[in-house]
Amino acid sequence: MKDMQEVGLKMFLFFSELLGCSVIDSKDEPIGKLVDMKVKLGELFPKVVTLRIKLRGKKSPLALDWSEIQSLNGNIISLKPDAEKKLKPLELNEGEILLKEELLDKQAVDTYGAKIERVNDIHLLIADGELRIVHVDFGLRGIFRRLGWIKIIDFLTNWFFAYQFPEKMISWKYVQPLASDPQKKNLKLNVTLRKLHELHPSELADIIEELDQEKRSTVFKSLDLQTAAETLEEVDPKLQVSLIESATEEQASDILEEMAPDEAADLLADLTEEKKRKLFQTMEKPHREELEELLRFKEGTAGSIMTKDFISIQEDKTIGEAIEEFRKTTHPLETTTYLYVIDKENHLVGVLTLRHLLLCVNEAPLSKLMNIHLIKVKPEEGVEEVAEIFKKYKFMAIPVVDKDERLTGIITLRDAVESKYKEF
Amino acid sequence: MRRGFFKTRWKILLIFLAVAGPGIITSNVDNDAGGIATYSMAGAHFGYTLLWSLIPIMIALVIIQEMSARMGVVTGKGLSDLIRERFGVRITFYLLLALVLTNFGNVIAEFAGVASSLEIFNIPKFVSVPIGAFLVWLLVVKGTYRSVEKVFLFACLFYVTYIISGFLAQPDWGAVRDGFIAPKFELSTGSLGMLIALVGTTIAPWMQFYLQSAVVEKNIKVRDYKHSRLDIILGSLIVTLVAGFIILTCAATLFKAGIRVETAKDAALALEPLAGKYCSVLFAFGLLNASLFAASILPLSTAFVVCEGMGWENGVNKKFSEAPQFYGLYSLLIFLGAGIVLLPGIPLFPVIYISQVINGIVLPLILIFILILINDKKLMGEYVNKGVYNFISWGTVIILIGLSIALLASMLGA
Repeated sequence: MKDMQEVGLKMFLFFSELLGCSVIDSKDEPIGKLVDMKVKLGELFPKVVTLRIKLRGKKSPLALDWSEIQSLNGNIISLKPDAEKKLKPLELNEGEILLKEELLDKQAVDTYGAKIERVNDIHLLIADGELRIVHVDFGLRGIFRRLGWIKIIDFLTNWFFAYQFPEKMISWKYVQPLASDPQKKNLKLNVTLRKLHELHPSELADIIEELDQEKRSTVFKSLDLQTAAETLEEVDPKLQVSLIESATEEQASDILEEMAPDEAADLLADLTEEKKRKLFQTMEKPHREELEELLRFKEGTAGSIMTKDFISIQEDKTIGEAIEEFRKTTHPLETTTYLYVIDKENHLVGVLTLRHLLLCVNEAPLSKLMNIHLIKVKPEEGVEEVAEIFKKYKFMAIPVVDKDERLTGIITLRDAVESKYKEF
Repeated sequence: MRRGFFKTRWKILLIFLAVAGPGIITSNVDNDAGGIATYSMAGAHFGYTLLWSLIPIMIALVIIQEMSARMGVVTGKGLSDLIRERFGVRITFYLLLALVLTNFGNVIAEFAGVASSLEIFNIPKFVSVPIGAFLVWLLVVKGTYRSVEKVFLFACLFYVTYIISGFLAQPDWGAVRDGFIAPKFELSTGSLGMLIALVGTTIAPWMQFYLQSAVVEKNIKVRDYKHSRLDIILGSLIVTLVAGFIILTCAATLFKAGIRVETAKDAALALEPLAGKYCSVLFAFGLLNASLFAASILPLSTAFVVCEGMGWENGVNKKFSEAPQFYGLYSLLIFLGAGIVLLPGIPLFPVIYISQVINGIVLPLILIFILILINDKKLMGEYVNKGVYNFISWGTVIILIGLSIALLASMLGA
């Protein structure tokens, strides 16, 4: 008998072994079977708080507090005296999940490997009278164990290849369950999906692409604005639309404001006219105007892939003043390699590189140093021609000017490549 | 003049491809080597007498495919994924094992189709099958399948030749009508097996997995679901029409002449009224296309379904080292399937036929899982099955199990 209250008792066990164990009352009379367990998330290694027991002859299972357990022996769970009177219908609060219904055999994210895996088993530890989740089994061994083949397989692989399938247990620290009970859809899942925030936006994008629609939007909605925007930039264009449509209009326009303008414009172009109009209404004015301008350009033209995130400086400034301006710039920059020099009317007159700023004396005037042999494109030009220019001149970015030679944007090498190879 | 001809043809192709959703694609894959062989045999050996069976089969096909598509749309998950989440690893494992073995039979059938179609041109199977297997394997691993799919789909217009040939053969329309409205059936091993094979080839177990995955992959929303339903009904009608005309044509030609279908050359004679001495060439082309089309999809779909259920990495955009189980199973199915066809003296058409009988025996098992899942309120919400659906599908399950038991009994009795 393993008495629960016995101090210092430590024992590992698998959840799959506990499932279906018979439950007996204090008089050793069998009363039912264990069908599930409820866990309260939040702690590093979360505690089992409730058992779900299917009583003999009853259809729906009832819940019982973990503290009502006397001992655990083999595949028998013994209850304390009068525990059966404390059975009640299950309550599921925020931050609580059912292990069988929501974790075992379901998908979960391994945030260490940044991958979606299927939970083959859950590794539990009894210590100081409490049962806690310590690992999740994502490995082949877990499958064999549950099939009851582990001994035979180990024997065979040992005999033939002197090999044993390795365990693939991941510490709970790195496991993000993706429980999504239909009834829980409206809960704020920010607390329970916290572990996902350790992932890089491009990893998040990969994971979101692999999830089903419902989980996709749940996970996406749990992200903070900035992460959501960066993640959205990375996902497949087809999914972008369905993700942005799953968010409320207010959230959606906030996310679009956070995204790089050219990416946001591409996304907006894929939406219906009505949706676009609604999003524009909730958007702040400067963002809206910038996006509207970008949207005016037809797909496949230089204008449609250009960005406004660059740095430009008046021609009468010196190197020192340019460095100062650089330091003060707070808006995101798509490239820091070039500074564009303009006159009072915003005409493009020259280009400087970062190298000029680093190597020249502070007093040197820009107009003497800047390169005035300019390669530029017009917004109406095709993406193909832009690509040709990149190929010929090996620049990192090209300025875009309107018909009066006014600087309106830049195209980075990255955006040019992306427009040519959509999957890049 | 010539230009105009090509222009209209091009237009037909475009319209066809524009409406071809998962339902229509699945249907055309459904008319694979197994389909062509089974329908040919049904017509050649039983005349018009089994035509009636196509009507209940079509109704069951529409109902079952509609359920698979509905589950895909509502849950956004594949069938094996749902089975794993609901029934646990143990049941999933054994069910997938049964599915892999069944599908393996179908893969063998597809390569038998490749072998027998090219035997018409006197190309020995030792040449045709390895090349076919390698081609199919490459198509998927190199990711060029998507572009070739449209070619396969277009070549499916081959089935129209059965319709023309069927009319040219001047069948006894009175007997055709009787075949449909006055069901005749004898409880012999031969006709029981043929009936199960007809069901098994038209409503193949693997199709339900494939269709649901295709619907999920297309990311169809619940509000657009009615289009999918139309797509499925249209697809099922095409399958039945093609099946009906193959049976009818074979009955009017082969059955009348007393020819038993043992090889592709025999089956090809059904197209003689249309193509004369070129009928073999025409048939070989159709059978080859059908076999390669299904051979490209079937092993891939099987590997995908297994990996999804077991939680292994899958998808052709992964590297071999990232998804070893996926590529391993995929390659094994193709090369082992092709390898078995290469065994000397293996009878190709009977092998194809038997694989379809196994389909019919395994189908009710898969159906039971589909039915439990689709009636789960937690999973499907308001989209659970309506009464008529349950009635027809449970009816199909019971009838199929009954037929399998009767087949077993008649085999033991004989």
